Amino acid sequence: MAFSIPHIGSATAIEAPQLDSGSKKAAGFGAVLQDAMGKVGEFNHAASKSAESFLSGEGDDLHKTIMATQRADLAMELFLQVRNKVVQAYQEVMRMQV
Amino acid sequence: MSLLSALSVSASGLSAQRSRAELLVENLANAETTRTPEGGPYRRKDAIFSSAPQGSPFSAEFQREMGAYSNGVEVSEIFEDAREPEKRFLPGHPDADPSGYVAFPRSNPAEDMVDLMAASRGYHANVSAMSAVKDMIQKSIDLMR
Amino acid sequence: MLDPLATKLEHYMDLLGKRQQLVSANIANADTPGYKTKDIDFQFEFMSMLQGGAPNVIEAPGLAVKNDGNNVVLERESRLLAENALRFNLASNLLRGGIRSVRSAIQEGK
Repeated sequence: MAFSIPHIGSATAIEAPQLDSGSKKAAGFGAVLQDAMGKVGEFNHAASKSAESFLSGEGDDLHKTIMATQRADLAMELFLQVRNKVVQAYQEVMRMQV
Repeated sequence: MSLLSALSVSASGLSAQRSRAELLVENLANAETTRTPEGGPYRRKDAIFSSAPQGSPFSAEFQREMGAYSNGVEVSEIFEDAREPEKRFLPGHPDADPSGYVAFPRSNPAEDMVDLMAASRGYHANVSAMSAVKDMIQKSIDLMR
Repeated sequence: MLDPLATKLEHYMDLLGKRQQLVSANIANADTPGYKTKDIDFQFEFMSMLQGGAPNVIEAPGLAVKNDGNNVVLERESRLLAENALRFNLASNLLRGGIRSVRSAIQEGK
């Protein structure tokens, strides 16, 4: 299947924590999470719009609405996994004895 | 909405073919009817089909985009045979006129039977269409599984 | 995330749905005097990848016209009915498989 998962690459590239750049890493993680959250928000919005238009009887076919919902679900799931990993890594960094 | 509207279209087909069949059956049953409440012999009836856009209760803007997609069918007219009835010479018949002729319907049972089979075939075709479309809609819903 | 294949599959399913609507209309009007068989130019519509809005409805070429002006051939419509349904089936299965793959990939990373 030629499905591609572009976001995984950027978010899981978590390097080994370094003592002096602990806080810089935190900012990096934050930015990545913000970005991912934005994308998830977009997918969710698209899904809601599609579902609304289906309910009001106009616009897209059923499978379009369903696909929009599935994309939103997958984006959300991916985001949650990424967030968990990121939080784990952050906690490890914070646990480091200075 | 798209596929769901196809169901209305097929339903209209079922309805039209059924009406057509009912009229044909009435013609066959009354092929020899010389006396009717309106007076005179039975007159053959024919269902006239014409295209009819199918509205949907769910959509206000339905007709806007859909146009040709939503063309179902309806019986726009029931055409009654207006020809002179067939006269047969039967002096003893209770409905005979003074000259001994009885007015019979101009019927063609063979043609009506063939038409009835065509109506049945059309009915079944609409049933198949409805079934196929219903399956497609179900497959779409299954994408969520 | 599922793209670009998923979008293509969606578009394919969309066109198949619209084609099936026209087949249903043709079948309903199989005995309507003067009615001409309707269709869409599937290849063209799919290749042009214009999404949203309705594809152009054309009159199916090369069909014999009966005495009452109707040119619907039930055999052709039945064939298309079956074909469209099967293709739709296939596309939806591919999509479902793809969604499952992506979901698995996400879960595996736990």
